[in-house]
Amino acid sequence: MAFSVCRIFTYILGLVGTSMVLPLLVSFMDGDASSARAFLIPMSVGWIAALSFFLVARGRLRILDVRNAFGVAAGVWIAICLFGALPLYLSGAFPSPVDAVFESVSGFTTTGASVCADIESLPRSINLWRCETHWLGGLGVIALAVALIPLLGAGGFRLIKAETTGPDKTKLTTLIADTAKTLWVVYIALTAIEAILLWGFGLGVIDAIAHAFSTLGTGGFSTRNASVGAFGIPAVEWTCTAFMLLASVNFGLYCRFITGRWDEFCRDSELRTLVLVVLTSIAVVAAVQCGVSADFGRAVRDVAFQVASVISTTGFMTSDYTTWQPAAQMVIFLLFFVGGCSGSTAGGIKVVRWTILAKSLANEFRRILHPHEVFTLRINGETGRESFVPVAASFVFLYFALVLVTTFAGTLSGLDVFTAFSASLSMVGNVGPAFGGLGPSANYGDIAAPLKGFYCFAMLAGRLEIYTMLILIGRAFRHSR
Amino acid sequence: MRIFVIGAGFTGMQLAKELVAEKNDVVLIDNDAERVRHAGDQLDCAVIEGDGNDLDTLEKAGVAGADALVTLTQDDEVNMITCALVDAVHPRVKKIARVRNYAYYRASDAARRRVKAENPEAPPLYGIDVMLNPDVEVSAAIDSAMAHGVVGDVIELDGGYGIVTLSVEEGSPLAGLSLRQLHTLEGWRFLVAFVEVEGVMSLPSGSTVINAGDRIGVVVPLEEIPAAGAFTRTKRGDLKRVVLFGADRIGSLILDRRAQNRPSAWAKLFGRADEAHGAEFAVVDRDPDKCREIVRRHPGVRAFCGDVTDESLLGEEDLFGCDLLVAASGNHELNLVTAAYMKSRGVRKTIALTANASYGEIARKLGVDVAVPMRGTVVDALMGHLRGRHVQSVHSVSNRRFEILVGNVSPASRAAGRNLRELMEQHPGEALVLLRRAAGASADELPCGSTTLAPGDRVVLIARGRDVGVAGLFFGGE
Repeated sequence: MAFSVCRIFTYILGLVGTSMVLPLLVSFMDGDASSARAFLIPMSVGWIAALSFFLVARGRLRILDVRNAFGVAAGVWIAICLFGALPLYLSGAFPSPVDAVFESVSGFTTTGASVCADIESLPRSINLWRCETHWLGGLGVIALAVALIPLLGAGGFRLIKAETTGPDKTKLTTLIADTAKTLWVVYIALTAIEAILLWGFGLGVIDAIAHAFSTLGTGGFSTRNASVGAFGIPAVEWTCTAFMLLASVNFGLYCRFITGRWDEFCRDSELRTLVLVVLTSIAVVAAVQCGVSADFGRAVRDVAFQVASVISTTGFMTSDYTTWQPAAQMVIFLLFFVGGCSGSTAGGIKVVRWTILAKSLANEFRRILHPHEVFTLRINGETGRESFVPVAASFVFLYFALVLVTTFAGTLSGLDVFTAFSASLSMVGNVGPAFGGLGPSANYGDIAAPLKGFYCFAMLAGRLEIYTMLILIGRAFRHSR
Repeated sequence: MRIFVIGAGFTGMQLAKELVAEKNDVVLIDNDAERVRHAGDQLDCAVIEGDGNDLDTLEKAGVAGADALVTLTQDDEVNMITCALVDAVHPRVKKIARVRNYAYYRASDAARRRVKAENPEAPPLYGIDVMLNPDVEVSAAIDSAMAHGVVGDVIELDGGYGIVTLSVEEGSPLAGLSLRQLHTLEGWRFLVAFVEVEGVMSLPSGSTVINAGDRIGVVVPLEEIPAAGAFTRTKRGDLKRVVLFGADRIGSLILDRRAQNRPSAWAKLFGRADEAHGAEFAVVDRDPDKCREIVRRHPGVRAFCGDVTDESLLGEEDLFGCDLLVAASGNHELNLVTAAYMKSRGVRKTIALTANASYGEIARKLGVDVAVPMRGTVVDALMGHLRGRHVQSVHSVSNRRFEILVGNVSPASRAAGRNLRELMEQHPGEALVLLRRAAGASADELPCGSTTLAPGDRVVLIARGRDVGVAGLFFGGE
C-alpha cells in the first residue's frame, strides 16, 4: 500500500513539475536565469522521482480503500502546495519560506490572498506560475492526474470525490478517467477562449494567459498591484465578469449542455438559484451605489465585477468595495457566505446546499400549517431528496465551526474581530480579499507567521470541503496514540 | 370457442361461469383436488386435475384444438411459462396471462409496445398475446367511472374518431327532435350511438326523440368534439378537487392516468384543459412510506398521512369540500364506509372499490355513486379478450351494460353481403353499426341504411354487453 501511495505522489508531482514548463519558457524569454533555475530544480526533482517509480513499478496501482483515499487526497494537496512553493522561494521572490508556502497554498486552493505588496516587481515567470497554480488547483490536480495517467483505475474516483467541490459527485461517463478528461477539455477550452478575448481586448499575451488562468480557477492572483482594475479597459472587465460567473457553474453541466442534455441544464436548481442570486445582488448593489456615483455605466460595471468576483470566490477587483455604501458592503459581505455551484472551481458553502436548506425550511413551515401532509424535497427536478438535508446541514455547521475557530485564531494574533471574522470567511471560502484591515487594497503580508500557517490549513480545508482535511488530521492523531 | 382456463381460484371460476353462460366450450385445469371437485359440482364444463404448466396434461385435454388459453394461477411465473410452453407447440392458440407483479407487467408492456411500434407483425413477447394486471384493469375501470360520472367520457377509437358522452342541456337545438330529424339541423354531421334517459341506456332508432336532460353518445371525429358540444350546450362538470383514499398501487395508477394526464379531447372541448384534467388531487393513507412514494412520483399531488376516519384531518384540510372522493384502498369494506360517510358530509360524487359485484347493491343503498368491483373488473377485462378471432378490441360503456366492439367482418358471418337496414330490421335494438372502413380503404366513414358490409370490412358497433349473438352475427360463425 505504501508503495502505491508513493507512486501516486511522485506521478502527481511529476505532473505539476511538467506544468512548470510554461513559466520556465517565459523565464528563458526574459533571460531571467535565477527564475529559470528556480523552476528547473523542482521540475527535475519531480521528473526523476516519477520516472524512477515508473521504471521500477509495473502494473496497475492497488485500489485505495475509502479511508486511505481521503488521506492520500489530503496528502497530495499538501505535497503539491509545498512543491509549488519551491520556485517562489528558490527564485528569491519570496524570501521567507512561510510566505512562499502561504502564497502557494493560496494559489492552489484558488484563494488568491497574496502576501506580496508589490506584485509588479516580481519576475513575469513567477507571476505566471502564481496564476497557473490557480488553474491547476481550480478543477483539481487529482482530476488532471486521473485524466492523464491511466493507472489509478477505480481508486481514481475515490480520490476525485475527495477533492471535488460540493455535494454533487457523480460520474458523467462510465469511466472516471473519461469524466475527468471531458471536464478538463471543457476547462481548457474556456480558458483558451478567455485568453484569446483578453488578448484581443489589448492585454499582453502573458497577462492574458495569466488572467485567464486566474479567472477560470476562480483564484484572484493578478499580475498587477491594482488587479484587473489596473488595465482600465471596460471590455476586459466585462470579459472577466462573464468568465468568473461561468467558472462558478458546475462544469458537469457544460458537458451535459454540449452532449445535448439541455433539459438537465435548464432544470438545474443550483444554476437557477445562482442566476437569481447574482442578478438580485447586482440590482440591489447597483441601486444603492448609483445614488452616489456620477458615472452610471462605470458604477454598474464595477458592481457586476465585484459581485461576480465575490460570489465566484475569485477575488479580483476593479474597485475597493470597503469604500462603498454600507448597504452595498453588506450585500457583498453576504455573498461571502454563498459561494459558487458544486462541481465548479469556486469555493464557499455552495449554492446547492443553501437551496437544499431553504427548500427544507419551506417544508418545515408547511408542516407546521399542515401537520398531516407529507412533503418531498425536489432538487434538479428529482423528487425524494430529503436525505440531502442532514448532509447539507452538517456541512454548513462544520463550515461555520471552522470559520469561528479560524476567527479565534485571527483574534489571538491581534486582528480585530470583524477583520478576523471576514478574513476567516475569506480563507475557508477561498475568496481572497476580506473586510477591515484585510480589504481588497491590503495584503496578508503583515499578519503573524503562525496565523499564516493556520490560514494555510483553513484554505486547504475549505478547498477540500473540510471533511478531507479533518479526516487526515483525525487519522494522524489516532495513529500517534 | 374452445377455451382453456388454468387455475380454478375465484377469478378462474367466475370466468369459467361467464364463458359457459356464453355457450363456450371450457376446459378448467387445477392441481388442487378439493377445488377441482368444487368446480366440477358448480360448472357445466370439463374440469381436470393436473398441473397447468405440464404440457402432457394440456395435450391430453386437447389444447391443440383450443382457441384460447387463460392462465390464472397464483404464480405469475407459472402463468407466463405455461403460455410460453403452449406458444412453442401451438402458436395458433390465443394466450392470456394474469400477471400480478406490476414490475413484470410494466416492463413487459413497455417492451411489447416498442417491438410492436417497430414491427407490427412481430410475435408477442414470451408468446403471450395479452398480459393482464388486475391493478391496471381496476384503475382503468375507476378512471373510466371518474370520466363517466363526473368529467364526461370520450372513448377514442383509432382512425381519428371518438364516441363522446354529452348531456343535452336546456336550450339545446337537439331537444325535442327525433334522430331522423337531426340532419335538418345545419352543421349536424354526427351519429348518435346511444341515448341515456334517467340513467337507463338504450340503443336509439330513427324515431327516438331526444329531450333536455338526456345524455347522448355521439360518434364524432375527435377534432370536432367542440362542435358537437355546441349543439348539446353541455356544461363542463367542475372537478376541481379530488380526494383519493388509499396510496396503494391502484391509487398510484389512477394518479398516473389522471394527475398528469395530457388534456383529453373532453378537456379540449371547453378549452380549459388545465382545469378539467389538472384537478387538484389529495391522497390520504395511513402508511407514511406510501404517502412519501406518492409525492415523489407525483410532485403536484398532496399526500396526507393519517386515518381516513380521523375527523380532525378531514376537517383541517377541508377534505369534505372536495368534488369527488375515490376510495381505492386495499380495505374494501372501509372503502364503502368511507365513501358513504363522505357522501353524507357533502362530497358531490363518490366512487368506492369493492371486493366483488355483490357489494354493488349495498353501495347503492348507502348512497355511493359508483362501486367498482375488483374481481368482476378482472373477469370483464378477460371476457373482452375472448370474443373471437375477428374482434380487435372491446370498449365498455356504462359499466359493461353496453360494449363497443371493433373488428373485421368475417367471411363466415351472416352480416357479410347484406345492407344495414336489412340487418337492423331483423335484429332490432340489438346493435348499431357506428363506423365502417371498407376493406383496403384507409379512412372510416359514417354508414347509412344502404351501406352493404363486405367480408374484411372493419366495423365499429355498439351492442348490449355480452351479447354473443351480435358478435357472432358480424364477426364470426361461432
